[in-house]
Amino acid sequence: MLNRIKAIAVKETRQLLRDVRMMGVIFLFPVFLLVVFGYAINFDVQHIQLSVLDRDNSPESREFINSLLSTDYFDLVTYLKSDREIREFLDRKKAQCIAVIPSNFSNEIYRNEVAKIQFLIDGVDGNTATIIMNYVNAAVASYSNNLNYEFLSSRGIKLSSSVSLEPRFWFNPDLNSTRFLIPGLIGMILIIIAVVTISLSIVREKERGTIEQLNVSSIKIPELLTGKAIPYIVIAFINAGIILAAGYLFFGIEVKGSYLWLLISTLFFLAASIGIGILVSVIADSLQVAFLAGTLISLLPSMLLSGFVFPIESMPYVIRIFSNVTPTKFYIVCLRSILLKGAGIEVFWEQLLYMVIFTVIVVVAASKIYNKKQLKELSS
Amino acid sequence: MKGNGFATVIHFIIKEFQQLKRDPKMLAIVLAAPVLQTIILGYAATFDVNNVDFYLLDRDKSSVSRKYVEKIINSGYFTIKGNTENYEEIENAIMNGKAVIGLIIPREFEKDIENNNGTKVQIIVDGSDGNKGSIAFGYIQAITAAYAKTILLDKIERNGIRVPLKSVNAETRIWYNPELKTRVFMVPGITALLLMIVTTLLTSLAIVKEKEFGTLEQLIVTPIKPWQMLLGKILPFTTLGLIMILLVNSVMIFWFGIPIKGSLLFFFFASLLFILSTLGIGLFISTVSRTQQQAMMVTVFGAMMPMIYLSGFVFPIENMSRIIQYVTYIIPLKYFITIIRGVILKGIGIADLWQETLILALMGALILFLAAKRFHKRLE
Amino acid sequence: MNYSIVAENLTKKFGDFTAVDSVSFKVEKGEIFGFLGANGAGKSTTIRMLCGLLEPTSGDAVVGGFSIMNEPDKVKQSIGYMSQRFSLYNDLTIEENIEFFGAVYGLKGKLLEKRKKWVLEISNLIGKERTLTGDLPGGIKQRLALGVAVIHKPKILFLDEPTSGVDPISRRNFWDLINRFSDEGTTVLVTTHYLEEAEYCNDIILINAGRLIAEGNPQRLKTEYIDGNAFEIETENPVELMDILKKAKFIIDVSIFGKKIHVITKKQFEKPDELENYCTQNEFKIDRITRIVPTLEDVFIHLLEHGSKNAQQN
Repeated sequence: MLNRIKAIAVKETRQLLRDVRMMGVIFLFPVFLLVVFGYAINFDVQHIQLSVLDRDNSPESREFINSLLSTDYFDLVTYLKSDREIREFLDRKKAQCIAVIPSNFSNEIYRNEVAKIQFLIDGVDGNTATIIMNYVNAAVASYSNNLNYEFLSSRGIKLSSSVSLEPRFWFNPDLNSTRFLIPGLIGMILIIIAVVTISLSIVREKERGTIEQLNVSSIKIPELLTGKAIPYIVIAFINAGIILAAGYLFFGIEVKGSYLWLLISTLFFLAASIGIGILVSVIADSLQVAFLAGTLISLLPSMLLSGFVFPIESMPYVIRIFSNVTPTKFYIVCLRSILLKGAGIEVFWEQLLYMVIFTVIVVVAASKIYNKKQLKELSS
Repeated sequence: MKGNGFATVIHFIIKEFQQLKRDPKMLAIVLAAPVLQTIILGYAATFDVNNVDFYLLDRDKSSVSRKYVEKIINSGYFTIKGNTENYEEIENAIMNGKAVIGLIIPREFEKDIENNNGTKVQIIVDGSDGNKGSIAFGYIQAITAAYAKTILLDKIERNGIRVPLKSVNAETRIWYNPELKTRVFMVPGITALLLMIVTTLLTSLAIVKEKEFGTLEQLIVTPIKPWQMLLGKILPFTTLGLIMILLVNSVMIFWFGIPIKGSLLFFFFASLLFILSTLGIGLFISTVSRTQQQAMMVTVFGAMMPMIYLSGFVFPIENMSRIIQYVTYIIPLKYFITIIRGVILKGIGIADLWQETLILALMGALILFLAAKRFHKRLE
Repeated sequence: MNYSIVAENLTKKFGDFTAVDSVSFKVEKGEIFGFLGANGAGKSTTIRMLCGLLEPTSGDAVVGGFSIMNEPDKVKQSIGYMSQRFSLYNDLTIEENIEFFGAVYGLKGKLLEKRKKWVLEISNLIGKERTLTGDLPGGIKQRLALGVAVIHKPKILFLDEPTSGVDPISRRNFWDLINRFSDEGTTVLVTTHYLEEAEYCNDIILINAGRLIAEGNPQRLKTEYIDGNAFEIETENPVELMDILKKAKFIIDVSIFGKKIHVITKKQFEKPDELENYCTQNEFKIDRITRIVPTLEDVFIHLLEHGSKNAQQN
């Protein structure tokens, strides 16, 4: 049995190595993508495009604007001249946020009345808008407080903020979103390589009829699939290594936890991904279908359902069940635990277990479908 | 016998449809998968953070500290998962992922507030688990600030100052998406993404498939012209794409209740331009690839992944580093997403979006031209 | 003389590798023209250049009156092509394939109907119009491919190893068809490595390693290209005998055909006795020895082994 598996694995490796272009794609693209995307993916809202319609044009209003700009979060695009421009600037995405300072702004401050500043925020991107809103509120509150402290101290009352927070951000001290996104990106790249390469390789043999040649030989299906899977697991594994190295070199993501567990969880993840690939190739009879199914099942779900971008806890219950279609969900927890937290197995053993269960389910389903198809073919 | 222009194209189209009909599995995937994925992913795509688990270590145990904790719990965002006496337990909870936040109220909390000394609440945030940590911290910051303000006002009153205080308030108004729902922002993006994936995927194999099966050779020796072949390939897929546009947008409008505020006609026109560019990309890949496998890998890594990450679909382009921002200029999906978000959420039309529309059209024309140029009527 | 194809110094290079090295020949109208050579000799590459599938690196050919370099589109209207690989759509029915290719050649309406019937008839598929092409057995697929290749009644038909992998009876039928087309005035250019098929051809060229090494009708090839006499020896132990004969100075070529051995001797050795003597001298028992007219196979083996020498002489 081992001999036959070896024979298949050797054959598969030889075919793989022969296609130099393909090898290039498999090994270079992921690193390239990781680096490019690594610089692209982050939720750190800075440089908010701010426009100001200053109807007051007083020292106070200018001081307020300066206090906004000094936070580093806002970039002043321009001063608007009229109401009409507001819509234009927001519609055309020339500004993300527009501050409208009323003409009685400085007067209200003098008279100790409530001065209101209107902020119009582009809410299309709800997430960014929320963050902008928080910045705005915080900036205005601190401006307001400072006015009061000055006012009170001029009357001889010394007060200071009573409760303050002393935050400590673990595992990611400067709250750099790239850090927690990179593990997800790694997972996504790996699963796509695994699913697409293995399913294409099997379906290609189907299309060319070489699989029949293998079927008539005494080789058994599990042997065939294991033999086929091994080289792809190895390739994906090397890929994982390269990508992690790139993650360290470019983004400073080092392995805080155990290398052994990193290795094991990556293996489990790849096994699960290859399992998906096998399932896809059992269902599909043509490369086109395999490609379509493989991409649709691995590309978007591993990005949107895995907790990579959107928190799973916030999803509706039914969708949370659906989120189990992608093993990336489990792998991301492992990666974040090992890479960022430096945590041990006690934190992510469940995830490893899930990945094993996932693999078993997928492979069993694949062989059931395969047997059914064989029967159908024999009876027709 | 002449190569009579469009008649040949029409026969080519008939042939393509006959082949599509023969592959019901693919047709099923092409039509059903995007609908299903729009629904599932549409629900999954939310940045909302609620149900944040936290651990509490209250060293003061005073009525003031209890009041503070109550405020946090009553905000509705937080669930208390543990009330402990032990600092280590908090550390463990965060390490194990049982809590995102650990709150440590110091011993002299009440006294320090009373004596105007200022007090510091320590807060430990898990920075590894996505955006959750920073958003949750934002909530606590706001709650604490409000709490501090009430204390301050309370004290001022007790100091006997009766004059109204100075106060500047921010009045934020969110445009286009007043409830700040992620969904109305994400669902149009998801539909665009699915359109892109299915159309590029289908066409990326269109020509290389015939190359591999040898039918291309048979076609080349006939008097059929390259443009007739390309047109014959594009039109069926465009039809399929149009059906998909109708399907996924019906899901968006009727299932998710996201109406299209702007002109429906312009919306479909832009969608058509967009799929022409993605079909063009697919065809181009198909003409330069030698095998279906190559075509697929290049499609996934060279076209789809960059489109997903660099289009501003999830990750705002404004946040990206400068160089990467320049790279996004070549991503057609970027323009399309700007257009559809504008039309759907802002209700703006071609008057404001003519630039994006023009670029999209030019890109489509350019890539189709390149594909036609690459596609000589010879082998090699 | 009226020629359908005139090739002049056709050359095709793939990188450093020269697949076809300045090959020139002429094909008369209505004849069956055979292209022989081992696998990889350059047959398919030549035929692909003539059909406009590949662009020649240098040289040119006039096919049906048009240059393949300058007017490949015009060439295409008058040729039919069938490749060694089955190249119809497996996922279309027989009828759909015929209709599609017919339409691509600009056929329509009644004419298309008529030709469709004709194709079905010659490929023996009447009544099976709705069968998926992919479900047909190999030999029948080839017939259909041939039918589709001639749907527009081309003046010139290119067949690239049309019968490889086809059973002998189907092959026979296939050649009947080819003869029929030729009788109707179609020029047929066919590549093959089956030598018995070459006997059906009016004219033959032999290609080896990209070079043309012999040409003429089969009869002329047999008599002109061999510079000696051919004998057939029957024996129990041909392998051993071959080793012995190879050492003999008066022998040019020895080759095994099952239990027989074909020997080509130098011109002055005309009688079988001398050969027999040589064998007995070497204490080898032979059953029978006869003088024969050389077969094409003898000629080709001879040419391939001494090809370069003869080519220089020509």
